[in-house]
Amino acid sequence: MRKGWRKVLMGVVATVITVVFVAAPVQAGKKDDTLNIAFTKELETLDRYFNTAREGIVFARHVFDNLLWRDPKTFEYKPLLAKSYRWVDNLTLEVTLRKGVKFHDGTEMTADDVVYTLNFAANPANKVKTQRYSNWIKKVVKEGPYKVKILLKTPFPAALEFLSGANPIYPKHYYAKVGPKKFGLKPIGTGPYKVAEVEPGKRIVLVKNPDYFKDSPKGQPHIGKIVWRTLPEKNTQVAELMTGGLDWIWMVPPDQAKKLAAMPNIKVIAAETMRIGYLTMDAAGVTLKHGMKNDPFTKLKVRQAVNYAVNREAIAKNLVGGQSKPVYSACFPSQFGCTQDVVKYEYNPAKARKLLAEAGYPDGFTTTLYGYRNRDFAAAIVGDLAAVGIKAKLVMMKYSALREKLRGGKVQFAFLTWGSYSINDVSAITSNFFEFQEDDLARDPVVRDLLLKGDTSIDPKVRKEAYRKALQRIAAQAYWAPLFTYVSNNCFTKDLDFTPYPDAVPRFYQARWK
Amino acid sequence: MLQYTLKRLVVTFFVILVVSLVSFMLIRVSGDPAIALAGEGATQQEIEYVRHHYGFDRPLIIQYVDWAKKALQGDLGESPYFNEPVLKMIRERIGVTMTLGVSALLFALFVSIPLGVLASIRPNTWIDRVALTISVMGQAMPSFWFGLIMIIFFGVTLRWLPISGSGSPAHYVMPTIALGYYATPAFMRLIRSGMLEVLSSDHIRTARAKGLRWGKILYKHALRNAIIPVVALAAVQLGFMLGGSIVIESVFALHGIGYLAWVSIGRSDLPVVQAIILLLSMIYVVLTFLGDLLNAFLDPRIRVR
Amino acid sequence: MSDAATHPGPNGAVAPDEGLGRQVVFPTPGQVMRMRMRHHKGFIFGAVFVLAIFLMAVFAPMLTSYNPYTQHLSHRLVPPVWDAKGTWKHPLGTDNLGRDYLSRLVYGSRVSLLIGFSCMLIAMVIGTLLGMSAGYFGGKVDMLVGFIITVRLALPAVLVAVAVVALIGGSMQVVILVLGCLIWDRFAVVLRTSTQQVCSMDYVDAARAAGCSTLRIMFREILPNLFNNLMVIATLEIGRAILLEAALSFLGMGVQPPTPSWGLMISEGKEYMLFQPYLITVPGVALFILVLGMNLLGDGLRDVTAPEGQA
Repeated sequence: MRKGWRKVLMGVVATVITVVFVAAPVQAGKKDDTLNIAFTKELETLDRYFNTAREGIVFARHVFDNLLWRDPKTFEYKPLLAKSYRWVDNLTLEVTLRKGVKFHDGTEMTADDVVYTLNFAANPANKVKTQRYSNWIKKVVKEGPYKVKILLKTPFPAALEFLSGANPIYPKHYYAKVGPKKFGLKPIGTGPYKVAEVEPGKRIVLVKNPDYFKDSPKGQPHIGKIVWRTLPEKNTQVAELMTGGLDWIWMVPPDQAKKLAAMPNIKVIAAETMRIGYLTMDAAGVTLKHGMKNDPFTKLKVRQAVNYAVNREAIAKNLVGGQSKPVYSACFPSQFGCTQDVVKYEYNPAKARKLLAEAGYPDGFTTTLYGYRNRDFAAAIVGDLAAVGIKAKLVMMKYSALREKLRGGKVQFAFLTWGSYSINDVSAITSNFFEFQEDDLARDPVVRDLLLKGDTSIDPKVRKEAYRKALQRIAAQAYWAPLFTYVSNNCFTKDLDFTPYPDAVPRFYQARWK
Repeated sequence: MLQYTLKRLVVTFFVILVVSLVSFMLIRVSGDPAIALAGEGATQQEIEYVRHHYGFDRPLIIQYVDWAKKALQGDLGESPYFNEPVLKMIRERIGVTMTLGVSALLFALFVSIPLGVLASIRPNTWIDRVALTISVMGQAMPSFWFGLIMIIFFGVTLRWLPISGSGSPAHYVMPTIALGYYATPAFMRLIRSGMLEVLSSDHIRTARAKGLRWGKILYKHALRNAIIPVVALAAVQLGFMLGGSIVIESVFALHGIGYLAWVSIGRSDLPVVQAIILLLSMIYVVLTFLGDLLNAFLDPRIRVR
Repeated sequence: MSDAATHPGPNGAVAPDEGLGRQVVFPTPGQVMRMRMRHHKGFIFGAVFVLAIFLMAVFAPMLTSYNPYTQHLSHRLVPPVWDAKGTWKHPLGTDNLGRDYLSRLVYGSRVSLLIGFSCMLIAMVIGTLLGMSAGYFGGKVDMLVGFIITVRLALPAVLVAVAVVALIGGSMQVVILVLGCLIWDRFAVVLRTSTQQVCSMDYVDAARAAGCSTLRIMFREILPNLFNNLMVIATLEIGRAILLEAALSFLGMGVQPPTPSWGLMISEGKEYMLFQPYLITVPGVALFILVLGMNLLGDGLRDVTAPEGQA
C-alpha cells in the first residue's frame, strides 16, 4: 500500500510541476509582434449597428471605415472612404468615393455598398440599435459607381459627426447574404485590421490588413496581431499587465495607475474622456404622479443645495484623479455649444445648509440615491450630502434596471454618467435628456424649445446661442448637478508607442513597438 | 432494485419540473426583461415592441409552458443579448466549468483521503489535529477571498501561475484549489468517521489477528468500505461545486457557465440565466440520483424504503 | 455546500456521527454539559471567537472614535500600523474614501452578525415547520417535505440568490429575506429525523392519549426536546449565512454601500488589493475568524449536548 501511495503522490507532484512550468503562460508582447489588450465589457455582437458599447466603437474603428474621418487632434472632418464631399443644399450631401478600396475578402468597395449599408441603417424596420445616428437619413441614392447622394429628412447639423463617428460601411454582397447575426461573428470591412478569430464574449484576434488603402488618413497599421480579451475585473487586468500577460489596459483607477507608473516596465498616460458624471433630480415632480408621497427636489433651493453640497473638486482631484475637472454646465466642455458661462455652484456646505433651511428642511431630509457605476464616487457623494443633512441611502443597480425604474417615475435622485458616444456636440448629451424624453425629470418647455432650435438649425451661431441659453437655464434652475469629467488612465508596456485621445477611442492602428 | 430505480426516476423528473417552474417564476417576477433587451437609449415604444415581440406581455404561466415545451425539445431559447441559441453558448462554455468542477473534486479527494485515513489511524494525535484544523479552516474561509490571496501571492508576487483565463492547464491550478478546498472538510470527516467505524469492526480485528500486513488491511478492507459513502457524497459535491463556480469563475475570469451566468445576470439576459439554473439543477438531481442508486446498490437496506 | 457531510441528501444515510437509533437520555444534563464544555477545546475557542466579535459589535462606539461613514478624501489609503508608513492614528489604515478601516471593521461586525442571525431565524422558522411536520405526520406529508427539500437542494443557491437580488435591487432586507429562504434545508433535514425519534417516545403517545391538540403536542411536547439540535444547526447556519452574504456582497449583489459589510469591504478593497493588500486581508481574516468561531461553536455544541458516549 505504501508503494502505491508513493506512486500516486509522485504522479501528482510530477503533473503539477509539468503543468506549472512546461505549460507556462503565453507571455505577451513585442517579441511575437502580438499586442495583448483587455476590455471590461464583452461585446454582444461585432456588428457596430447592433451594439452601443464603447468597445463596439473601438472595434469598429479598427475593422471598418466610415465615409468621413474626424482628425482627433484638429477635430476637422476629412474624407476617408469618401474622396470628397459637398453640401448640395441643406438636405443633400454629395459624396464621391475613393476608387480601389478593397474589403478584406478582396472585393472592391463601391457606391452599392454605401447605398446598401446606410439605407439599411436608416430603415427603422431593420431595428438597428444605433438608430439615433442614422435616422436623420431619408435616403441614400446611387449617382454613379463611385458617387452617392445622401438625402436628409430635415436640416441636421450633426450629420458629418455621425457619418464619421458612427455608420461604418459594410460589404453589400456579404452582409446581405449572411445577415447581421452571422456578420456579428465574422465581420468583414475595409479597415486596417482583419478579424482572424472570434470566441464570442471571450477573445477576438485581429491581424494587420496588408492591403489597407495607402492614402487613408488613419495611416497604415504597424503591429501584426492584436489579441483582444474580455476581463471584467479591473484588478485582474492590472495584475496581468504587471506580470506581462497584457500589454495595454485602460480606465485604470487613479490609485493603481499611480502605482503602475512607478513600475519600470509600464507607462501610464491619463487621458480625459468625453464622459461626465452628474446628479439628476426630479424637479418636475414626475415621481409624485407615480405614487411617491413627497418630492423635495421640486424646490429650487433644495436642488441648489445639492449643487453646493457636493465637493466636485475634491472628488475630481482625489478619486477620479488625473486630468478630471469639475463641471458646472450640463455637457462636456469640448462639445460644440457647451458654454461655460453658467451659474457655478462652488463647494459651500454652509450655504447648502442655509438653502435647505430656507426650503423648509432645517434638519435635512432622507432620500435614496440610485447609481449604476463607480460605487466609490457615489459613496463619496453620499458622504458629502450627509454632511449637510441630506441622508441619502445609496442603491446601486444594473444600468438596465435603473433605467427601467427611472422611466417608471420611481427615481427622484440618481448619480448617472453619459459619454455622448464620443460625439463632440451638445445635441448628443443635453438634447438627449431635456427634450421631454421619458427620463427627462426637468420637463421644462423653455429648455426643450431652446434645445430643439439648436438641434435643427444649420447656422452654427444660431445653434450656439440657443444652446447657451438652454444650458444657462438648466444651471440656474439646478435641474442637474453636473459633477466632473471622467479620466481614462491608459496603462501599457514601455515597449509600446501609443497615443490616447480625449474621445476615448484608442487607436491601435497607429500604435507601434518601440 | 428496478422498482426502486423507477420510483427514484419519477421523483427526479418531478424535481426537475418543479425546479424549472420555481426558477422561471423567481426570475420573471424579479425584473422586467423587456427594458433590458431594448438596450441603452431605447424609447418607450421600442421597449413595448420588445415586450410584445418576445411575448413578455402574456400571462407568466403561459410563458412558462411555452418555455418548458421548447426546453423539452432541446430548445432553450435565444440569448437576446448575443442573438445566439442559449444551448450553443452553454455548450461552448460548459467544458471549462466541468474541467474546473472535476479537478476541484479530484483535488478535494486527493487531500482528504490521505488526511482522513491518517487521522483515523492515529485518532486524537497531532496528525488528527492537523487534519482537523485544515478541515475546519476550509469551511470557514470564503473561497473568493482565498482565490484573491492566491492571486496576490502565487500570481503577482511569485509569478508562478497565470492569473486569469483558461488557456492552459496551469490556468486551472489556483481556481481548482480555491474551489476544491471548500469541499475538503466534508470528505475528510466522512472518511475519518467511516474509517474509525470500520477499523473498530470485527472483521478488521480478525484480519489483524490473522497477521495480515497493516497496510494491506487498511487499503483492502478498511478504506474500501469507508469509501463507499464518499462516492455518493462526491456526486452531490460535484453538483454543489458546479453551482459554486459562479464566484470562482468570476475571480479568475474563467469563461465557464458560472461566469456566463454572472455576466448574464448583470445584463438581464434572462433566458441564459434560466437555462443555467435549470442545467445546474438537472446536473445536481441526476448526480444525486446516481449517488442514491449507487448507495442502494451497495447497501440493500436502502432499497426497502 | 458542505452540509452534505452531515446529511447526504434526504434519501441518503444518516450521518455516522449522529446518534442514530440511540435513546436520547440526559441524566443530569446541566452538569454533564458544563463539564464537557470546559474540556472541549473547539467549543472554547469557538465561544471565545464568537463572544469577542459579539462584544466588538455591542461596544463598537467605545472601540473606535471614528464614524465608519465619515469620509476624508485627503486621507485616503493610509496604510495600517504594521506598514512602515502606518500610524496609530488609524491602526488598520483607511480605505479608498479615507474612512477609518478599524471603525469600518468594528461596525461591520454588527452587519455580519445581524445578517447571519436574521437569515438563520427565517431559515429556522421555515425549516422547523417543514421538518417537524414531516417527522410528526409522516406518510404523505413526509414525502412532500422530502420533495420540497430535494427541490431546494437542487437549486444552485448562490446563483439564484445573485440573480434574484440583482433583479430586485440589493439592500440588507432583500439579502436577508432571499438568503433566509434559501438556507433552511439543514434545519428541515435534521429536524425531520429528530422529530421522528422524539415522536416514538412514550410521553408523546401519552399526550396524544390525553387528547392534547396536534399543535400543542408539536410545540409544547416535541419542540423543547429538539432545542439542542436547533441550537447546533442555528449556530452553523449563522456561519453559512455570513459566508453567503459575503459572497453576494463580493459579487456586488448584496448589501449596498456605504454600509460596512465585511464581504462588501473585500469587494471594495479588491480593486486595490495589488498595492494595498490590507484592504482585503483585514476583513477577510475577520470573516474567517467569525465563521470559524461559529463552526467550532456549533460542532462543540453538538458534541457537548450529544447523548452519552457520543462526545
